Amino acid sequence: MNGFLVLESGEVFSGHWHGGKNRIGEVVFNTSHSGYEEIATDPSYYKQIVVMTAPMQGNYGESNSVWESQQFWIEGFICVQIQDSQSNKSWLKKLVNAEVPVVSDMDTRRLVLSLRSGGTQWGALVSAESEAEAQKIAKSLLSQRFEIKKDWVWEVSRKKSQIQKGDNPKGPKIAVLDFGSKENILREFRTHASELHILPSRSSKAEILAVKADALILTNGPGDPADVEKSTETVKSLIGEIPVMGICMGHQILALAMGGKTYKMKFGHRGSNHPVKDELLNQIYMTSQNHGYAVKDDSLPAWVKVTHRNLNDQTVAGFYSAEKKVLGIQYHPESCPGPHDAKGLFTFFIEQLARNAT
Amino acid sequence: MPKRRDLKRVLILGSGPIVIGQACEFDYSGTQACKALMKEGLEVILVNSNPATIMTDPEIATRVYIEPLTVSSLDMILEKEKPQAIIPTLGGQTALNLALQLDAKGILKKHNVEMLGATPKVIQAAEDRELFRNVLDQVGAKYPKSELVRTYEQGLKASETLGFPLILRPNYTLGGGGGGIAYSPDEYNIMLTQALRESPTSEVLVEESILGWKEFELEVMRDSAGTFVVVCSIENLDPCGVHTGDSITVAPQQTLSDVEYQAMRDEARKIINQVGLETGGANVQFATHPTNGSRVVIEMNPRVSRSSALASKATGFPIAKIAALLAIGYRLDEIQNDITQSTPCCFEPALDYVVTKIPRFAFEKFQGSKDLLSTQMKSVGEVMAIGRTFQESFMKGLLALEFDREGIPETHFQVDQVSYPNSKRIWHVVQAFRHGHSVQDLYNWTQITPWFLEQIFDLVVFEKKFPLEYKKNSKLSLLQAKKKGFSDARIGKLVKKSESQIRKERWSEKIHPSYLQVDTCAAEFESSTPYFYSTYHSYQKLQRTIDNQAVMIIGSGPNRIGQGIEFDYSCVRGVKAFKRFGYRTIMVNSNPETVSTDYDTADDLVFEPLTTESLLEIQKAFQPKSFVAQLGGQTPLNMAHELVDHELQLLGSSLATIDRAEDRGHFTKVCLELGLEVPKAAMASSLDTALKFEERVGYPMILRPSYVLGGRRMEVVESRSELESYFERHGEFITEDKPCLMDQFLISALEVDVDLVRGVDWTLVGGIVEHIEAAGVHSGDSMGVLPPQRLKDETCRQVEQLSIRLAEKLEVIGHLNLQLAIKNDLIYVLEANPRSSRSLPFVAKATEIPLIDLGVAAVIGKTKKELQIDKWDWKKTQTVSVKGVAFPFKKFPEADSILGPEMKSTGETMGRGTTYSEALMKAFISSSYKLPLDGEVFISLREKDKIPMLPLAKNLLQMGFHLSATSGTAQFFTSHGLACETLKKVHEGRPHCADRIRQGHVAFVINTTTGRTAIEASFDIRRACTDLNIPCLTESDTAEAFLLAVIMAKKGQFKTHALGSALQI
Repeated sequence: MNGFLVLESGEVFSGHWHGGKNRIGEVVFNTSHSGYEEIATDPSYYKQIVVMTAPMQGNYGESNSVWESQQFWIEGFICVQIQDSQSNKSWLKKLVNAEVPVVSDMDTRRLVLSLRSGGTQWGALVSAESEAEAQKIAKSLLSQRFEIKKDWVWEVSRKKSQIQKGDNPKGPKIAVLDFGSKENILREFRTHASELHILPSRSSKAEILAVKADALILTNGPGDPADVEKSTETVKSLIGEIPVMGICMGHQILALAMGGKTYKMKFGHRGSNHPVKDELLNQIYMTSQNHGYAVKDDSLPAWVKVTHRNLNDQTVAGFYSAEKKVLGIQYHPESCPGPHDAKGLFTFFIEQLARNAT
Repeated sequence: MPKRRDLKRVLILGSGPIVIGQACEFDYSGTQACKALMKEGLEVILVNSNPATIMTDPEIATRVYIEPLTVSSLDMILEKEKPQAIIPTLGGQTALNLALQLDAKGILKKHNVEMLGATPKVIQAAEDRELFRNVLDQVGAKYPKSELVRTYEQGLKASETLGFPLILRPNYTLGGGGGGIAYSPDEYNIMLTQALRESPTSEVLVEESILGWKEFELEVMRDSAGTFVVVCSIENLDPCGVHTGDSITVAPQQTLSDVEYQAMRDEARKIINQVGLETGGANVQFATHPTNGSRVVIEMNPRVSRSSALASKATGFPIAKIAALLAIGYRLDEIQNDITQSTPCCFEPALDYVVTKIPRFAFEKFQGSKDLLSTQMKSVGEVMAIGRTFQESFMKGLLALEFDREGIPETHFQVDQVSYPNSKRIWHVVQAFRHGHSVQDLYNWTQITPWFLEQIFDLVVFEKKFPLEYKKNSKLSLLQAKKKGFSDARIGKLVKKSESQIRKERWSEKIHPSYLQVDTCAAEFESSTPYFYSTYHSYQKLQRTIDNQAVMIIGSGPNRIGQGIEFDYSCVRGVKAFKRFGYRTIMVNSNPETVSTDYDTADDLVFEPLTTESLLEIQKAFQPKSFVAQLGGQTPLNMAHELVDHELQLLGSSLATIDRAEDRGHFTKVCLELGLEVPKAAMASSLDTALKFEERVGYPMILRPSYVLGGRRMEVVESRSELESYFERHGEFITEDKPCLMDQFLISALEVDVDLVRGVDWTLVGGIVEHIEAAGVHSGDSMGVLPPQRLKDETCRQVEQLSIRLAEKLEVIGHLNLQLAIKNDLIYVLEANPRSSRSLPFVAKATEIPLIDLGVAAVIGKTKKELQIDKWDWKKTQTVSVKGVAFPFKKFPEADSILGPEMKSTGETMGRGTTYSEALMKAFISSSYKLPLDGEVFISLREKDKIPMLPLAKNLLQMGFHLSATSGTAQFFTSHGLACETLKKVHEGRPHCADRIRQGHVAFVINTTTGRTAIEASFDIRRACTDLNIPCLTESDTAEAFLLAVIMAKKGQFKTHALGSALQI
């Protein structure tokens, strides 16, 4: 069966269709060599079709133990070759059984070059007999994209709050505003905290304060931060009252709440090899990244300092204010997938901001 | 920290001759480092004993010394040059060990020289197995249970506690030298003695077996601020038990999950921090259990290595260059990524392709040696191939080996060829699948990770279905086959068509590969670096403007015995010359160790197998106007016909010239027309015909089958019975179409190599290298000297004239190498090679004439006037240069070190001196001969050498050596009044002479033999010498040269000389 990726621009890429449903999503590429499971289950990939630049996928089978949430969030999986392994549990079957469309044998190099030069765009991943048929199907599917609700964070957030016991009884109590959290952010904080209170993204200031936490964490999440209005308002009202750490989407919302601005990047950063210079801990990390939006450099208030920069393009990768107790990190110190280099930031936040809070 | 302002002058150590485990990769890393440091405005002093390297070209460094890599010569050079620092991490194990010695002997302190890149403490922490285990304990890393053993008795105990099988790893050796796997106490006891002897510190780590575990390697870098990057992860297809240099390896790693990979990365980082490596590159090897995933550390090297060269080529990240810049103070974030020109070097390359490295072996060269792989490296070269998928890159790799145009030809399947790791295993794995064996079967036999086996299995399944699919839809099936890496030749075989028929079909269907960039970032950033590989998995247009005046230079492929770094020297130097003359250059090669495959050598680098198929595709995509076949050795020459058939213009000597020189019949005719002597010769397809020509050729004669490279199955035959024996043993290689060549053997003749260049209106003899050994020893294995020492001036002039006449008659344009023999003042022409030669770099360095540049000038038509050819005259050379030879006998325990017409050496050295003896001494030292100053000399001579060697024996006695000999030789010596002890021959019972050698009582051995029986009878003598690193001289001429060197060494004085200024036209 033939599989086609039809981009909004009209460009069509063909490949081998392995199964799943015809779907649409924003087409993004990730340059990580490994970690396909973590990527496919990361809620930040909501409404996105992922192109893996590493050509060989599914090589090490699959294991639920590394999932970053309870389900797949991606709208499609594209690569050059996917292993339908005899000896390992099959990643391909796992995706197809969950109706995630999988297309291999695609010219991903050309596709990435097109996304890089033209910028991220939407596309439809469909099975069809011919390119013409694919275009027809894609057209009607893509027209539905404007019906998708805004505030994607709310779409993926927990709707009920949840309490998790931490590993350190003497550690701080931490509130987490769930924007689509990866499991490993929670896992990292559990090692430091006595208790985690995970709250839905649209929780009110009163609901958050009622937890009586020592610190607030804003997690990663999908979509445009500017669409996440309610949460931004709430965070704004909390700055200065409680130490806040934002990661990825959390970082962007924190920036908006402080009066900063965000913008859509041409094709974003997705991979496990982005160098970031951290002036806070005075180190350079290889970081795990996954974001399509970024914080505008000069939009932040004077009281907060940009302390982390992506060395590839000098974009804002983090900011810090000791005074107002805020720490924003654009990338993923929790890794999964990716290097663990920036893990020290969790300790830093707990030691410097959360513990001194009370 | 930015660049250190205080550093002005640094010294870089090279790695010496090419040996198994240390090849061109250190020329690549050293050259890169020199270039980077020179560009930073530093003065660089380079020391290396290998003349075939690019790094020893005078313009690469401020000052180049082709001198022995020993403490005493370095002491002198440091004294003279006064560098502030020395970089020991670029010249392999040789440089690292030398730096440690310089430190231990206080030489560095004496000259106030700092060690950059790695301190002695770091080197020891990484290389000393006991210290390294402490490091691992401190970071909580696991390692196989092991014991460090310093004596034989300790070793026996260790084996009891650890149990069999056991792995032996001697401290501070190269390529697993002296180590191995022991399955039984008997094996173990023998190996233990050897291993203790091989370690310079007499320490051996005896380790529990992790056979069958998965093996990985991380190539890492660290800067002074602690920034750490993994440049490349490499996974071995062959599981633990096969040396990583002998394994097929794949980059990036394919079968670890992100969790497993990141844990490995964390551990590598902790280890290099704990070892204390402050800046530079290192590699850490790991093994993981195939099912439970537990991980152990195997070893780390705090320096650039063979695998870092591979990693650099695989990713586009120039590790050696960056390591050099880090060493002088830069941080990773301060250095720009050459490839993207916009991002910094502190990043980890993202690959959107798969790289496969496949080793190339030479077991067939060492009669009697068993083709089995273990922890001691045996391969002599390697290829790398890039493809979008594992299958594509793997299949390209097999083609790049240049064994077979089909890549995976049918072979006669044997289970033991699969279950015992050996150089041909991979083809037997393929064949096993063809015979219906399952992935599980193969896993049981090989412990190769199932993922790889499934990939190979899939190729076989595809192959089986192919003929039917091809019938149904030839276009689609052809495309699919190409995507899986099948060559046109293999596809043809599957559907019973010729390679060219398939190519025609494919072209008519417009199925061509795309050439994608190696850009370090999986296309995330723009990049303009012209480093390409082909793939059928893409339709991307070439991101490069075409220059239809460009010249394509075809490299020499994987190193093999007979074709190695010398030809890379020619290619690189050639590329530079073409560039200087204003041509755009396209370099094509498949050998990742080389300088020619550095992305900033040529204007375009295409990393591809050297097959006609891939070159024709490159021609279509890059549209060069012409190509050069005379720089890369025999490989490009063999393809010249087919390329010319496809309307590619051949630069330099025409096809007709090539044929006249290469075809023996033609060539003899040319010689006779010129009135030149050639050895008497005949051809025979059977013993009967051979006997008919017996008289015409006469004994002794040299026999060899037709179409052989490097003297394979070439033997000197002295009698009819040996002639019969030859046909009995090699009859299967002799047929009507491939008759046996019989040549008169010019016994005791003096042999010379002549390298010349001929242009449109000029011919320049670059030099005459006189062989030290008489005719009968392969020119690659004989030592040589320039200028000649024994050749009469008149003969020398005749040789030159004859060479020029021959070049003219052959209508050579460019390079010509001639091999001649001189006997009784008669000059015999043995062979002509219409290309650059193995001896050319040596000649160029000895005479300081830029021969390659002149060769390029010749092929582009430069005239005598333009070039002012007369200013070059090799006879004006002031210094004497001796070529030394490095042999790999040690690695092949069953092999004989006797020299003969079949080439066996892997590398060469050069000794330069004001006198012949000084040059000889240096050449011997650089080739790792110990020059003994006293002790016992054991001598066993064939009849004809006895009288001529009498003065030498007397000389030895006068110098204070004492003599021992086997009965015949001893009797002869005593009867001539020389004191000599008699030792038993091996077949005369024990203790015999070989026992005496093995007891360590003998300083060196002179053992000359002829005839198969005598050679076999004296094998144990030579083997004992090889095992104990005792010089063993198998030719009387070598013995005399050796004596000169010993006399020189006794005087204890020599000087070091820097090469003259840049060799340029």
